[in-house]
Parts: sequence; structure tokens; C-alpha cells
Amino acid sequence: MKKIINKPEDVVEEMLHGLALANPAVKHSKGLGVISRKEKSEKVGVVSGGGSGHEPAHAGYVGKGMLDAAVAGNVFSSPDPERIREGIDQANGGKGVLLVIKNYSGDYMNFTMAADLAEMDDIEVDYVMVKDDVAVEDSTYSTGRRGIAGTVFVHKIAGAKAEAGASLPEVKAAAEKAIKYLRSMGMSMSACTIPAVGKPGFTLNENEIEVGMGIHGEPGISKEEMKESGEIAKILLDKILDDYEASGIEMKGTEVALMVNGLGATPLMELYILNGDVQAYLEEKGIKVYRTFVGNYMTALEMAGCSLTLMRLDDELKELLDAPSEAPAFRI
Amino acid sequence: MGFQLTSKDYMEYIKLVYKKIHENREYITDLDAATGDGDHWANIDSGFGKLNEISESLECLSLFEQFKQIGKTMMSVIGGSSGVLYGSAYLAAAKVLKGKEAIGNEELCGVLTAMLDAIMSRGNAQPGWKTMIDSLHPAVECYKACLAENVPEEEILTRVKQAALDGAENTRGMEAVRGRATYQADKGVGHLDPGAVTMSYQIEILMDYIRSKS
Repeated sequence: MKKIINKPEDVVEEMLHGLALANPAVKHSKGLGVISRKEKSEKVGVVSGGGSGHEPAHAGYVGKGMLDAAVAGNVFSSPDPERIREGIDQANGGKGVLLVIKNYSGDYMNFTMAADLAEMDDIEVDYVMVKDDVAVEDSTYSTGRRGIAGTVFVHKIAGAKAEAGASLPEVKAAAEKAIKYLRSMGMSMSACTIPAVGKPGFTLNENEIEVGMGIHGEPGISKEEMKESGEIAKILLDKILDDYEASGIEMKGTEVALMVNGLGATPLMELYILNGDVQAYLEEKGIKVYRTFVGNYMTALEMAGCSLTLMRLDDELKELLDAPSEAPAFRI
Repeated sequence: MGFQLTSKDYMEYIKLVYKKIHENREYITDLDAATGDGDHWANIDSGFGKLNEISESLECLSLFEQFKQIGKTMMSVIGGSSGVLYGSAYLAAAKVLKGKEAIGNEELCGVLTAMLDAIMSRGNAQPGWKTMIDSLHPAVECYKACLAENVPEEEILTRVKQAALDGAENTRGMEAVRGRATYQADKGVGHLDPGAVTMSYQIEILMDYIRSKS
């Protein structure tokens, strides 16, 4: 294992320490894995989080117009309720707090437990569950679909709605709408190594890819031979578009937000090439791309690969997507 | 009037649970080694051990505050899924006990029902999945049925205890749906679930303790 770290057991706290040094607008609750905005305002607080190893998720999305606090667990494992409780406290401006939870059993248990604890202390808390990954129905770590890169759009929509002064039910409704129109699908080309484990969790052969693999290396749909970018774009988009159709959501003639996400080790050069192929295929399907995001938004350590996310837009979602954000990993 | 458990009584019960769990280290660890991570005994023992240690400070609280504190303690000391599940159970039960000074027959059924509901919803799990639910669920069902049929208290204690013990024993024939045992070819069939066994200890001791008091 070659990684720029000190001790494997200190990676999360040391990462957050360094992150806070690089962003004067946030502070780090030491020992509790929480990054939060220094500036407090009287509005609904938006909190997200989960296991570490997905950087810039989730702490990179803390900033005016997006998250008020992000809670980090150990690499690929949920933070415990006490940490999440700290995140809720830091985000609470007296108008209630919305938790954005990715659909994994551990995250669900710990975040809802923290919500119960906060409610016992008279803080109004509600939550939404993101399950945008169309690859598999149930998985190693989830009952139902997994939450992946599309979560970043949910952060943006909920954060913008909260910043506009909306109530907790209104912020939740906007987040639920984003979730309803959100679909993602990914593929991996190489494994990643959890620092505390020291060796890769699985192996893929030299010329092999796994379609639909999760962001913790959990199994996807199929192992296939490496393909050209244009073909990868079609495989991933077809699965996403089939799923919209199965849910009765018409896509032809509509506008979408598009995210071409890298999993950590894939160069931007490749993501831009893929973006070109994705947009050509969407045009063929009669779908207009309103706004494009290309980069590493939801990673899996140094895994190579990508995911595509579409969010079908209406006027409200467009306005919320375009609203300013000062989060370092998602500046608008 | 039937039994009335105060917050002081409840801590006496907790201490008895700790003793029983602490004495069964080898048995529980062996059960867990067959199907799980092997850490169930250590986790649950540390949780009840901590409650045993701080029992004096908990016994003077109201039942609502006491159950809340037990929940928070279990959550932070046991950690992981078990900690959250036990924590959820006690927080849910605390809500049932708000404003109450003692736990009588009806309240106890309400407490156990709230615990079961909390564990099932938080863990997103069902009876028959070879978990602690498989001891608690039959105990709660039995309790509800007894109350509906106006079964005498003494008899309720006997039946609920037996339902919990039978429930744990029945996990032997079940296939695991969650956790490490699901990766085994036999899905844990033939082995008792250690979480169901430690749950049955708690219900058994609670029923015996109430009997000894009345």
C-alpha cells in the first residue's frame, strides 16, 4: 500500500483537520468527524454524511447555499449517532434540520437514531433517503437501491431551498422531488484499498470492468471486457433511461442536469471524453442537457471508473440548481 | 393490584441481567463464533457492565429519564448495530413511560411492544430472520394475547418467559437474512442466534424478577 498518510487509524481526523485549514469558512469538531459552516443563520439546517473515502463528499459540500454540516465516519462505514448528533447541533439555526441519508443499512440506522436523539432534545429533524443507483435492487450494504453520486444534486437542491428561507417541510419536499427525478449508474475498472486494511478489497483483471459496482466495491451487475467510451456511455445511459421509463417518467423533450463523476483514479481527460459521448447519445434520445458537471464528486478512494447521473428538471429544480453555492467542491 | 416496578426495581433487574450475561461468556461467544463475528458477548457484556457500574446514579431518575439514559449508554458503549438497536429500543420505551412512576402489567406490555417496534423499524428487519427479534416478538405477541384474555398475572409471567425462550430456541432452524451468517452455505441453520439468546435472557430474568417481588 502506497498512501500519503501517517497512521491508518488517524486518516479521517487528519483529513478533516487539513480540510478545515484549507477553508476558512468551516470549522472542524475535533474527534467527532464533523465539518460545519462557521456562519450561522436562522434557516433550516441541511446535514449529510456517511463513511469517509468518498471525497470531496461530504465535507466538500459544506458552504453557503449547500450543506450546513457534514458528518464523517471511518472509511466506508457510517458515523455513529453521537457524531451525527453533533452535526445536527452545528447545523441547527432554530428552524429545524434536514438529514440527507444515502440508502445504506448502517447510515439509515445511525442517522435516524441521531434524529430521535435530537427530537428528544426538542430539535425538529426530518430526513430524506437517496437511492439513485439503478444498478441493483438490494446489495451487500442496502435493502433497496443504493445512494451514490446523485446525492450531490440533493445536497444542492435542499441547500438552495433552505437558503431561500423555506420551512423544513418545504426543503424536504424539494429534496424529495430531486430524488424522484434522479437516476445514476456507474462502472469500475480497478479496486481501491481501505487504509486500515492495507490491500485491495477485490480484483478485476487487466482488461475487465464491472458494470454497476457500488462505491465501496460491492458487487454490480456484470463483469465485461473493457470498451470504448462511446459504448460505455450507451450501456450506462440505457440502464438509466430504461429505469425512467419503468417508473413512468417521460424523458424525451425534457431538460436534465448531468453529472459525469469520476471514482477517484480516472483522469479528467477520460471524463471529458465520456461527457462528449454521453451528450451525443442524450441528443439522439431527444433529451436536452441544461447544465453539466464533470469531475470527482463522489469517489471510492482510488478506484478507477465513473458514474453518470441525470436529474430531470422543472422550473423549480432549475432555479435551485442555479442558485449560488460557496461549497468548495460545488461552486455555482 | 398487580406488580409495580419502580426505577429502583428496574436497575435491580438490569444488575441481574449483567450477572447472567457476564457468567455466560464462553457459551455466547461459542454460539457467535459459529455464525457471526464473535464479538456479540463482548459488546453486550460491556453495555450491561456499564449500566451495572452506573446503576446508583440511574436508580433515582424518573422512569422516562432512566430509560433515556439507558438507551444513550447502550448506544455509545455497545456501539455498532447492536448499540443502535438497543438504544432505539430504550428510547422508544422511554416515550411510553413519560409521566409514569411505576411499570404495571399493561405498561410492561407497552414497553416491550415499543422496544420490538423500534428494533424492527430501525433494523428494517422482520421476525424469522434469525435475530434478537425472534425472541422478543413471540414474547410480545404472547403478552398481548394474555392481556386480551385476562390471563392472571402469575400465569402471564410464566407464558411470556416461555415464549421468549422458545423463540430463541427456534432460531436454530432459521436461515439468516442479514449479517455474516448469510455468506455461509447453510446460512447458519442448526445454530442458535446469539442475539436472540441474550434477548431471551433479559426477558426470562425480567419475568422471574417480577415473580420474586410479588
